[in-house]
Amino acid sequence: MFRKVLIANRGEIALRINRACQELGVQTVAVFSEPDRESLHVRQADEAFCVGPGPVPRSYLNIPNIISTALITGCDAVHPGYGFLAENARFAEICADHGLTFIGPKPSVIAAMGDKATAKRMMHEAGVSTTPGTGILSGVAEARSRASEFGYPVLLKATAGGGGKGMRVVEREQELERAFAGATAEAEASFKDGRVYMEKLILNPRHVEVQVLADEAGNVVHLGERDCSMQKPSHQKLVEEAPAPNLHQDVRDMLHDMAVRACVHTGYSNAGTLEFLVSDGAVYFMEMNTRIQVEHPVTEMVYGIDLVKEQIRIAAGERLGYSQDDLVARGHAIECRINAEDPRNHFAPQAGTVAKVVFPGGPGIRVDTHVHAGSSIPPYYDSMIAKIVAYGESRDAAIARMERALRETLIEGVHTTVEFCAEVLGTPEFRSGRYNVGSLPAMLGSAV
Amino acid sequence: MPHDSRSIGERVAILAAFLASSDAVRVRVERDDEEIEVARYVRSTATSATPARSDGAAVAEPPPLRVDAIKADLVGIFRLSRPLPFEGELLEDDRELAFVEALGMRNPVRSLGSGRIVTIAAEDGAAVEYGQPLFLMDRG
Repeated sequence: MFRKVLIANRGEIALRINRACQELGVQTVAVFSEPDRESLHVRQADEAFCVGPGPVPRSYLNIPNIISTALITGCDAVHPGYGFLAENARFAEICADHGLTFIGPKPSVIAAMGDKATAKRMMHEAGVSTTPGTGILSGVAEARSRASEFGYPVLLKATAGGGGKGMRVVEREQELERAFAGATAEAEASFKDGRVYMEKLILNPRHVEVQVLADEAGNVVHLGERDCSMQKPSHQKLVEEAPAPNLHQDVRDMLHDMAVRACVHTGYSNAGTLEFLVSDGAVYFMEMNTRIQVEHPVTEMVYGIDLVKEQIRIAAGERLGYSQDDLVARGHAIECRINAEDPRNHFAPQAGTVAKVVFPGGPGIRVDTHVHAGSSIPPYYDSMIAKIVAYGESRDAAIARMERALRETLIEGVHTTVEFCAEVLGTPEFRSGRYNVGSLPAMLGSAV
Repeated sequence: MPHDSRSIGERVAILAAFLASSDAVRVRVERDDEEIEVARYVRSTATSATPARSDGAAVAEPPPLRVDAIKADLVGIFRLSRPLPFEGELLEDDRELAFVEALGMRNPVRSLGSGRIVTIAAEDGAAVEYGQPLFLMDRG
């Protein structure tokens, strides 16, 4: 086991990692930015070093200062959490170059999964179904022929793309020629590369993801799935649950099987998540996140496994020590993300000071947060301030418990998503477990 | 290390700022197992800088200390350069006072011009963090 771990993150996930380390008897070093000096993750770590000013590129992405901190404090491993450097293959390599174990998969796997085309090709090789798509299109004639093969609607995308530039939704054949010309011209103008490809557009699918754990000896298990379809119009998840409701057992089995196969094929190790789109019984691989996820607690609640401790154990070279048959999901768990945002104003992020805060408690409730009365919320970072997780013997029991927990929650000083989450839980879509990524935007009256 | 309290360097900087803004020449704080003392460097006044006015009015106050901190801009091990700087030393010009060793690199810490070293705020060989005061300089 490691002697000392540097936690290269902030907020609730830094605390979460600190807790796992403490329970494993591993010392911790926190890094922080100047505005985070009074943060809980700084107070609770064994040691803490300021690595830069507020803006992320100069602190939480400041690789030289983070590595230097790890070296001068005698760390032997670095846990990146999620976001920031968690899926930065170069950072993982730099850690290795300095004799530090990066708690995550191998850099080559991070890089492969970070490249959409490579990830899709590898998944295809592993027998994982991916969204039907083309390579670079030679012209509108090829686009027409492939679109009729996939069936409309289709999506034209710039190969050099990002931020929606060079992207066009094509709902019928008559629109194709004009959309192709538009996408090509916009891609050329934006990226100096007008090449486009096409994907089948899956309208309002469900977002279902599978948690995996793999050790360095090649043992792979899945820990079931999570439904993360309750997403804001910005595609950020708001409410997640495990297991996914109303999922046909055949589909569930297929997802689990594909996730394990993908890990075996890619030589994956440590914790990871495969995200899928599910629509009309068909599943399509979307992407693999090579890190711990924000919503990992719902899986922990139903499987009774500490995923962060497992990450650390695996990185230290330990074997899983259990097989798939040993893992049994029990009950149901729901997570609500409490963000410092104004749901009445397009979820505008809120900076400021939390004047008063009371988090819920009691049976079956878990709160992962770094916030307390007097906490300041700097403008530089993600707006999530807490995750409230409710566990119940059944989905109905978990919903009732979450509603009770949200009623108990009091946060003053900034707008939050507490009441909005309660509204979401009360919708007929959520209650019935029949919702998709279009449900929440529709509830807000926004176009998808 | 900074947990619920500020780093030594920051506490020294706060005391120095207090000292600079008051008439006191020395401030000492004793708490649990630590003592911090910050003293004003008294300039040589062998000859009065401001001659007494012929009308007998009070002599003008000496200009206040203008203390600024030279802070670490990276994380590493702080080492004093040779010749060793010392508190009270008057620097005529810009000079390397120390360096911060990080990732095998020697990153110089310069005086950034002339002035007097009021305090060497970090210990030779100690780990320093971003923004930690290393030297307090009187630029007056």
